[in-house]
Amino acid sequence: MNPLLWPEYSVLLGVLACLAAVMALGTKRSAEYPVSIVALVASAVFTVHGWSGHQSPVALYGQTVIIDNFSVAVDGLVILAAAASILLGWNERRSGTDFPALVLLAALGMMVLGAANSFLVLFLGIELLSLPLYILAASPGTSASGEAGLKYLLLGAFSSGILLFGLALLYGGSGTMIFTAIGPAHTIAPLVAAGSALTLVGLIFKLGVVPFHMWVPDVYEGSSMPVAHFMAFGTKVGAAAILMRFLFFGFYLSPGVWGPLIGYLGVLTMIVGNLMALPQNDLKRLLAYSGIGNAGYLLIGLASHNVTGAEAMLFYLLPYGFAVMGAFAVVTMVAGERSSISVKDLAGLSSRSPALSAFFVVAMLSLAGIPLTGGFVGKFYLLQAALFANQPGLAVGLVLATLVGMGAYLRPLLASFGHPAQSLEPIVWPWGGALVLAVATLGTIGLGVYPAPIVQIVSHSANFFWLH
Amino acid sequence: MIGANWVVALAGAIFAVGAVGVMIRKNPLIMFMSAEMMWNAAALAFVAYARVYHAINGQVMAFLIIGTAAAEVGIGLAIIVAVYHRRHRLDIDELSSLRG
Repeated sequence: MNPLLWPEYSVLLGVLACLAAVMALGTKRSAEYPVSIVALVASAVFTVHGWSGHQSPVALYGQTVIIDNFSVAVDGLVILAAAASILLGWNERRSGTDFPALVLLAALGMMVLGAANSFLVLFLGIELLSLPLYILAASPGTSASGEAGLKYLLLGAFSSGILLFGLALLYGGSGTMIFTAIGPAHTIAPLVAAGSALTLVGLIFKLGVVPFHMWVPDVYEGSSMPVAHFMAFGTKVGAAAILMRFLFFGFYLSPGVWGPLIGYLGVLTMIVGNLMALPQNDLKRLLAYSGIGNAGYLLIGLASHNVTGAEAMLFYLLPYGFAVMGAFAVVTMVAGERSSISVKDLAGLSSRSPALSAFFVVAMLSLAGIPLTGGFVGKFYLLQAALFANQPGLAVGLVLATLVGMGAYLRPLLASFGHPAQSLEPIVWPWGGALVLAVATLGTIGLGVYPAPIVQIVSHSANFFWLH
Repeated sequence: MIGANWVVALAGAIFAVGAVGVMIRKNPLIMFMSAEMMWNAAALAFVAYARVYHAINGQVMAFLIIGTAAAEVGIGLAIIVAVYHRRHRLDIDELSSLRG
């Protein structure tokens, strides 16, 4: 037991405790939701402690796992996503008794991805993230849940196959499984090129980048609200973390090869994602396409390939996560007992519940990137990184996509200030959703007004150019 | 003694068969089986390269791939059976209430 791995251990113990609670108490009295929250709080405490405890990277298990400030920051983001999902889904009757254990398992996979330094750990992390999410997507909750789970499963298994074969070719070309040991000296170039291309396809599939984004809206629409939230926030964190590890550690010396590719994909993704978000009526689909657009923004940090880009990418995950938390909390509360709602259902939200409407405005403005919200600061840093890297194309793409995105986020906002079509039942405020909403709104506005503390944490985390 | 390149070529062929299978077949079971073929092709390539480099880590990876594939099959078959129970037919073109 390594003391640096206690954030991961406590999540793992939480999974076991959840399963034991379900076994011991049955389905009548549920203890698994509080147990999972306790595990996440313990993990958060260890993460904060780990942050202040060590500043230099530690390589464990024959260098396959690296615990550094980056992995600790990713742990924090993942814990936030998992806790918000469990609080949003705090309803045994609807979410089921196995929901907390599965969310914790997937969160463990994301944390593993943040610390991975080997093909082996990369593969295990991706699968540990994906397998519980297949079950969560397929668990009953919406009318199309089986279909969503099946689509996610087939495409996920397909993309994992591509990823694995790419890893095999990379191993053959370089003779090592450790990212940091892939040197240009002993490699067989065609094998490494083919292998890294296939591996990248597998990874950006998980992130939901444009040529491989078709599954995202379908799976979100067919999943319940908390699961869709977890996919929108947590999966993006895990996939972005492993992309940074893989490219910045393994292929630091050849950015000229993969940089432009990632850049073009990023611009394509942000434009297409935001354009497709414009005509959507189902709010889950709208948020799914918004997530695709935001995946494109994240790729700017990779494509600009400098310390500023890495910092901006890591920073952007937090305001994006807060905005997604806020949006999904509001949508969950408005939906009430229903499994999905459309833009029309938001009509008259400002008169039904002014407070909820105000929270919704904050989340949407942050997604759109309006000043004084976290989304604006995040996009500002990404823009800065693109310009520092002397890549104006990325910056132009970001600005254009943000303009398109404003249109997409304005529609639900306008609807919420419109007149209600019919008299509607009052909105119930579950305490879990209210807590998530409060944290999300405080975080969004806090990041927009005073981002300095987070910027400092991020600048300590993303400086992993120490290796080279 | 067969050269590692031939083994990797065989793995590539299996991978291609699996990838084509996922793309053109309509039955989820066959598609899922084809995806598992892609995984096994990767495991074969790992073992072949492990012999080239006289390293054990490629073989370890192959074992982990087999183990993870077993877990995935458990989950996948459960999902496919659940969908079949609801519809009593398995054709990916009929599962179209969600349009991407």
